[in-house]
Amino acid sequence: MSEKYTGPLERVDETRWRIPRSYKAGMRVDGLIYADEALVAAIKEDKSPEQVANVATLPGIVKYSLAMPDIHWGYGFCIGGVAATDPEQGGVISPGGVGYDINCGVRLLRSTLTVDDVQPRLKQLVDRLFETIPCGVGKGGVVKFARKELAALMEQGSRFVVSRGFGWDSDLEATEAHGCIPKARPDLVSDTAYDRGVDQCGTLGSGNHFLEVQFVDHVDDEKAAKALGLEKGTITVMIHSGSRGLGYQVCEDSLKDLRDVPRKYGIELPDKQLVCAPVHSSEGQRYLGAMRAAANFAWCNRQVMTHLAREVFADVFEKPAERMGMHLVYDVAHNIAKMEPYEVDGQERELCVHRKGATRAFPPGHAELADRYRPLGQPVLVPGDMGRFSYVLIGQPGSMEHTFGSSCHGAGRRLSRGAAIRASKGRSIAKELLARGVIARARGRTGLEEEQPDAYKDVINVVDVLHTAGISRKVARLKPIGVIKG
Amino acid sequence: MSFDHAIGESKRGVAVVEPSFEIFDHTADAGIRVRAATLPGLIEPATRGLYAVIGELAETGEEESARFEQTGSDATELLRDYLAGILLLFERDHRKASTLETPVFDDGRLAVVYRTRSVDSEKSVYYREVKAVTYHELAIRPIPGGYEATVIVDI
Repeated sequence: MSEKYTGPLERVDETRWRIPRSYKAGMRVDGLIYADEALVAAIKEDKSPEQVANVATLPGIVKYSLAMPDIHWGYGFCIGGVAATDPEQGGVISPGGVGYDINCGVRLLRSTLTVDDVQPRLKQLVDRLFETIPCGVGKGGVVKFARKELAALMEQGSRFVVSRGFGWDSDLEATEAHGCIPKARPDLVSDTAYDRGVDQCGTLGSGNHFLEVQFVDHVDDEKAAKALGLEKGTITVMIHSGSRGLGYQVCEDSLKDLRDVPRKYGIELPDKQLVCAPVHSSEGQRYLGAMRAAANFAWCNRQVMTHLAREVFADVFEKPAERMGMHLVYDVAHNIAKMEPYEVDGQERELCVHRKGATRAFPPGHAELADRYRPLGQPVLVPGDMGRFSYVLIGQPGSMEHTFGSSCHGAGRRLSRGAAIRASKGRSIAKELLARGVIARARGRTGLEEEQPDAYKDVINVVDVLHTAGISRKVARLKPIGVIKG
Repeated sequence: MSFDHAIGESKRGVAVVEPSFEIFDHTADAGIRVRAATLPGLIEPATRGLYAVIGELAETGEEESARFEQTGSDATELLRDYLAGILLLFERDHRKASTLETPVFDDGRLAVVYRTRSVDSEKSVYYREVKAVTYHELAIRPIPGGYEATVIVDI
């Protein structure tokens, strides 16, 4: 188990703590962690701040090595880590700054259904979702793609599956990057990754992935909530999943390919897991191209599950999903690296922004947002845990100024899996959730125990920090009533 | 890290380590700690440890033989690559390895010969999906009577 962090954490203001670049040899910039006093005490319990300091040594890193308030220990980068590198200054791209689950992310559907509409059929709804959405170890999907189709899917993203009937055209505009990062290179994805992806598009996976039926429990920003169609008491559906075995294999292949590359470019790393290559190098471009392909697969994955969920609702409530207003609010990636323009020292530069357990949070007016979101700002979806709440936020101007357009992605784990299982002894987590009004179904024997609410920090503490810091503003709070897990 | 070290220990009367594994806590994921009297001896408990993280895997069908062989400069990376191959065998091919023989495992080479059978999904009990075998805290170190390896897997 990781030791505690004993290095410096200098308070900058009520929401920011600095690790000075003098802390560790090789740091090119300061580290900066977003947190309040209470969260800092917990953050020091593992060595994730050390990882923030390590990331600060990456060539070409700009301004700060950042971490969001849901920071915890990861591989190379901490979870909650954000780092932007400048390719023109020898900046690197690192698979550790994205993670194995490329484009793990979250999407949220709204509806005109209310809690009163759903409660009488909630068990039937959750059971049908559990039967219909493939989840758990070894569960293949209902949709299988031939290799040529997979290649096209990875190039086109969500558009590919929507054009085949798995969703609505309006879903594309409500997805980050319209569900497709251009210049994806499916030709750089290995045969093994293709083999793993062939029957996994439209599958939930396991671990902390979930599909949740929720309702809008509280509205913080009436105007923004109305613009997003999130009326208090209405039903929402949140889906958390990523690129599945295809993405894991792309990362696995890349880590192997890049093993000796830092030495080739004279890059010294404090941690082998920060393996990287200059963005402009052939190795860097290969990873970027393959990563984009896997990211596009992930958007298709969530899109197909959206379609399946709509079909279940239509079946249970005996009316089309369109008549229940089951529109996509938004879909965000929280494990990704993207080329984005930022102003640095008065000049606009195209930076490689790594978000490892962090969510894009573009403010009102940002050119990349679709027309319907540009006046409002980009929705930021932050799942909490299956017993308490999740949150919808909106990106604020502070994100562009301070965090390379980034916000948090979740609550952050408080207990290890083993500790969560031990804490569950003699308890029925399913019954406890039911007592809280949540019907939960899980395929894995230890799924509910490992993912129980007590295993996570309270998401409200995390989102409050970024609300106060002007990074992302609270819009609405969502309460779960049904959850399915792998 | 040498085979001779373990032989030396047994000659001096130190109990030779029995092959074993344990799963230990690691933040959001799982760690596997493996012990054996020799480097090649680590392979079998490491394989069982990986499967123990995934669940209780029942087998069915005909046996097929398989071989993993790789050269490299680092025994820890060879161990990791082998386990990644076993994970792929499960994830992609839905097969489980058993009856392992490890003719060679040192800093430069790992060769494992094993039998595989299909995983019986109906009779298996799954705990969790393992995304990957990571490089995090990857280590093999000598201990009295043998060797100990640690591997962290991403859940």
